[in-house]
Amino acid sequence: MTTISSAAEQAPVSAPLVGRPDINRKRMARLGWTFTSPALIIIGAVTIFPIVYSVVISFSNATVSGNGVALNGFTTSNYSLVLKNSTWHYALGFTIIYTAITVIVELVIGTMIALVLERLTAGRGFMMALLLIPWSMITVINAELWGYIYQGTYGVADAILNAVGLGHPDVLGTPTPAIIGLMIADIWKTTPFVAIIVLAGLVMLPGDVYEAAEVDGSSGWSTFWRITVPLLRPTLALALIFRVLQAFGLFDLPYVLTNGGPGTATTSLAILGYDAIFKNLSYGPGAAVATTTALLVLLGCLLSLRAFRVQVGKED
Amino acid sequence: MRNRKRTGWHRIINGVNISAFFVVLFVGLPLYWLIASSFKTPDNLGDSPPQYFPNPVTLTNYRDAFGPEDFGIYFRNSLIITLVATALVLIVGTMAGYALGRLPMRGKFTLMVTLLIISVFPAIAVVAPLYLLLRDLGWLNSYQGLILVYTAFNLPFAVWILRNYMLGIPKEMEETGRIDGAGPIRTLWTIILPMALPGLFTAGIFCFTACWTEFLFALTFNSANNYRTIPVGIAEFGTVYTVPYGTIFAASVVAVVPIGILVFIFRKFVISGLTSGAVKG
Repeated sequence: MTTISSAAEQAPVSAPLVGRPDINRKRMARLGWTFTSPALIIIGAVTIFPIVYSVVISFSNATVSGNGVALNGFTTSNYSLVLKNSTWHYALGFTIIYTAITVIVELVIGTMIALVLERLTAGRGFMMALLLIPWSMITVINAELWGYIYQGTYGVADAILNAVGLGHPDVLGTPTPAIIGLMIADIWKTTPFVAIIVLAGLVMLPGDVYEAAEVDGSSGWSTFWRITVPLLRPTLALALIFRVLQAFGLFDLPYVLTNGGPGTATTSLAILGYDAIFKNLSYGPGAAVATTTALLVLLGCLLSLRAFRVQVGKED
Repeated sequence: MRNRKRTGWHRIINGVNISAFFVVLFVGLPLYWLIASSFKTPDNLGDSPPQYFPNPVTLTNYRDAFGPEDFGIYFRNSLIITLVATALVLIVGTMAGYALGRLPMRGKFTLMVTLLIISVFPAIAVVAPLYLLLRDLGWLNSYQGLILVYTAFNLPFAVWILRNYMLGIPKEMEETGRIDGAGPIRTLWTIILPMALPGLFTAGIFCFTACWTEFLFALTFNSANNYRTIPVGIAEFGTVYTVPYGTIFAASVVAVVPIGILVFIFRKFVISGLTSGAVKG
């Protein structure tokens, strides 16, 4: 913080700023770095340093001692342990499938909701406010709410399933229903978010294209597929990237709703990493799980950014 | 806003309204269930088939949340940590956003991309080293530990949003300030900041929501009862054997209200942040 105050004393310049562009420019650039430095220091210390440290732990023989974690020598054994572990295989597969299914369903339903809202003549403000509530809701609360809904004897889902003749299935106690239940809770919370993004994209689409399509006698369905969807691609790509990155770090919902169970049925990569580190105190393998997860997210982000930029380039 | 002719499509207008009604049901029913359940007596919460309308309506759960359960403490902790972290993010983020948006700096693009990449890093990747770091500092179970972490993790996105807003301010505005003899800091404070106010609202509401709802860091760093935030407190309500849904839902309703009001008032900024703020650049 001292850098700022000293810059503040230097910066109110004695010479007039007009007329000496070169010196002025240098001074402004220095000021720019001074203004940026607090943010860079905080981000560097609290995000970049731990990322590097995590990679270091993942390549070390880490042992937990009374006053911390001791790192003894370089090893790749953490990675070979993790990559050969069947629980990790399952968690990886589960996280990928969970991400794929929830994101696709959310994009489809979200687009449908956006199309409805776009045609709505009254009450759009109310609808937007309603859609924003699940988005801003604490995920832990969402998990508790659905836990109560799925509860085996007095849950409302149980009453509905019984009414349609499915008896009293133990939703959260059986692997496949538990996974589906988790996905429904996620879809309920996140679809509104997708709908809002898609609606904002829809509203910005040029109207004349639609008039031309109508003149050409294009029907509603073919107009949607041949005009709306292609024009909407950048928006859909944005929603997709946001959601994939978020879903891949899945932690809060299964931690509270199913605690990764039954067995390991809903153990995501983040839950596996957390349990390894904080429950089993296996810092090395835990860090390896965390690092591989981050690497996958990073890879996905770079690929999507690239695909996204190509898309934007085409638009120009 | 596109303006399409809908001659002879009155049937669709009807269909739209019916679809909208289903959207309201889809989003609203679980919310109704949360609110209705918070007003049921502990006995009625266990009714099978469930009570669809609370009868009798009771405030016991709300009293219990603040009485035997320490929801008041969690609420205070969440409020302090969220408000301080949001204020820090806005102060530090405005300075960085101003510099990156308006001052001639080399390597700006690389810096912005780095920020973008950091902002998508999953929390699990850094939680263990941060835990060790905060423990060495003696900052586990403290306010400053979580405030620092939340500030750092919300800064990249805030800087992005603020930079985009700063970019949109006309250059002439700054020059007026300079001709008047104002230094860069005064220019930022008196001329740029008022014009970037929508950006501050957007960044602020996103940061507030993220801090208010964050779970993994809070669970790991602040596990002691006196330092728990709302998400951790609610997750740890009750014992291993019973889940006190009544108190959980009463606490949940209280936790949803402030953020709901904020998001409702600033919904314009939330929507602009979700869309333009992230696309531009």
